[in-house]
Amino acid sequence: MNRRLAPYVFVGPAMLLLATFGVFPILVAAFVSLTNMNISGLARWSNVKFVGFANYTKLFRDPDFWQALWNTVFFVGVGVPAVVLLSLAVALLLNRSGGRFFKALRAFYFVPAITGIVAISLVWSYLYNTQFGLLNFLLTSVGLKPLQWLSDPWLAKFSVGLVAVWRGTGLNIIILLAALQGIPRDYLEAASLDGANAWQRTRFVTIPLLGYALFFVTVTTLIGWLQFFDEPFVLTKGGPLGTTTSVSLFIYKEGFQQSQFGYASAGSLVLFVVIAAVTLIQLRMRRRDIEY
Amino acid sequence: MRRTIAVALKGAALAGLTATLLGGTAIAAPVTVWIMGDSSANFDQLVAPFEAESGIDVETVAVPWDAIDQKLTTSVASGQGPDIVQIGLSKLRTFADAGALLPLDDLLGNYPGLAPENFADGVAGKATAVAGQIVSVPWISDTRVLFYRKDILEGAGIANPPATWDELRAAAKTLSERGEGQYGYYVPQWDSALPVVMTWDQGGDIVNAEGNIDFNTPAFAAAVDLYTGLHADGSVPKNGDFDQTQGFISGIAPMLVSGPYLAKAIAGAAPELDGKWGITTLPKAVTGTSLFAGSNLGVWFNTDQQDESLKLLEFLSKPATQLEWFKLNGELPTVKAALTDPALAADPLVQVYAAQLGDAKVLPMISNWDGGVGSDLLKALNSIVLAGADRTQALADLSAAAEGQTIN
Repeated sequence: MNRRLAPYVFVGPAMLLLATFGVFPILVAAFVSLTNMNISGLARWSNVKFVGFANYTKLFRDPDFWQALWNTVFFVGVGVPAVVLLSLAVALLLNRSGGRFFKALRAFYFVPAITGIVAISLVWSYLYNTQFGLLNFLLTSVGLKPLQWLSDPWLAKFSVGLVAVWRGTGLNIIILLAALQGIPRDYLEAASLDGANAWQRTRFVTIPLLGYALFFVTVTTLIGWLQFFDEPFVLTKGGPLGTTTSVSLFIYKEGFQQSQFGYASAGSLVLFVVIAAVTLIQLRMRRRDIEY
Repeated sequence: MRRTIAVALKGAALAGLTATLLGGTAIAAPVTVWIMGDSSANFDQLVAPFEAESGIDVETVAVPWDAIDQKLTTSVASGQGPDIVQIGLSKLRTFADAGALLPLDDLLGNYPGLAPENFADGVAGKATAVAGQIVSVPWISDTRVLFYRKDILEGAGIANPPATWDELRAAAKTLSERGEGQYGYYVPQWDSALPVVMTWDQGGDIVNAEGNIDFNTPAFAAAVDLYTGLHADGSVPKNGDFDQTQGFISGIAPMLVSGPYLAKAIAGAAPELDGKWGITTLPKAVTGTSLFAGSNLGVWFNTDQQDESLKLLEFLSKPATQLEWFKLNGELPTVKAALTDPALAADPLVQVYAAQLGDAKVLPMISNWDGGVGSDLLKALNSIVLAGADRTQALADLSAAAEGQTIN
């Protein structure tokens, strides 16, 4: 085989898949976002008109879009640190022992990540129910006032976010745990011979060595929260009063409920640019891996 | 066009083939009908006499209610649809705008059974026309009536169900004073028809003489007063996950406006309440007009079985067929002769529904009521009552959002 050609042959299939399912849809969306494509356009191509950037100007004037954007910023701002820190804390604790109890705990933390979102949302919507939910039952039984978990515009944001945090930590805990177990014992032993206490060993040996895993976890979690969709879709449908509508949910509503494909494509292009920008910034800011 | 020809050729070839195989007897393709929900087995039973009589084969496909948007999109995009489709009235405009429905104005004359005057006025002919064109034929009807708990109202010293919206508001306040966590009435936060019904009852409409959506009317302002007043009185629960069936059965919310499905749910969940609750036509302000909901049937735009489809529609519009469907599937007729049939009047609940259907209107046929103006309307009203938004500002935003929405 030609030496020059060989690498292309190897990456070819992967590139083909990426082009077909990654790049091509983005290009189609970019094109559709410049048209007034809707359901009548699907029926007859002659109904589709090129409208330039009209969808984008309309989008940036749409209060619902801005609300969705700020909701997403809120979800990212609260959700990403919560998921990363919680996963890290749980992984560090789980790593303290390989006993049977800890192994069972590992499975326990992973269960939410592999349970179907519909089942999860059903259970949580019962827990959150104002009239006969478990949470309000517990609150009232200790003499507190019941809360409107999914009906109060502010509280609903946190309620929906909590389910996503609970669901999101499972996989990240496993990733961080795997990275923790890859840290050679010698480093920690050497550090304790030098007189470092448990906190110092964690802070100055373990966490720096987790750098790559933490970076990976942060990037994937951030992208996940920027595309936040499942939990508000099944728990609140974006309500009350649009306070849990994320950008993805906004796009879904415009595109699939209102059949405004051009307008929805403009929204998804904006979301794509935001995600790409945020990820690039993260890649730039990333320092070199620490090796001892 | 090319596709139509291809399909026609294919159809012809296929028909020719079957004809040869069967020794000369040509067999037409079946008329495909999309029926919403899970009532396709009942529908098969309903059309069996038609199939026997006319020799036209009817194939029923059940489409789940929440799958219809995607089903419509894919079938419009591919050009492959059924011959007849059941359309919820709130989706009628979307279907028509998508070009999925065959305009029927010029065809109805050949089928006397489909004449608009046969059907209830609320949905007949022009009442469900889209941009002036008739694109569907009424099928089943559904309406909203006032549900009330006789025992609880009497316990609070209210002898009769409220006959006016003012009486209802006062009664709701009295009932909510029964104690902590008790309410008098229930407003579903997802029900965009209720504020419209309230506007109709104040003697107005949300569509003006030019056919545009218009919220700057005294009638709408009065409806907003009623909607926000019920909340301000503390007469209605403010949590969005309030369960109306449980709320009614437990008596927490002993009055509400809802449809026949609630009567079924109550009878199923709490048979012991039998006799302790009742329904009546909507309270009045200027009028007592209610919502005309339900479904129509349309003919798919590129069907190659136009005559067969319309014959089937004519069969489905016979009073006897409509009564049979009520017996099979519990859905109310749209044909006047069936609505006044003594077979229906025997059921006291149905009597109320039939009376209410005589004074009921459909939601304005604008594009995308549910996702557009309907949800903007709910958002405006609920932001006032739930989040304390400024009324003037919220209504101004609503008018701005509804700008340019028209039934034309």
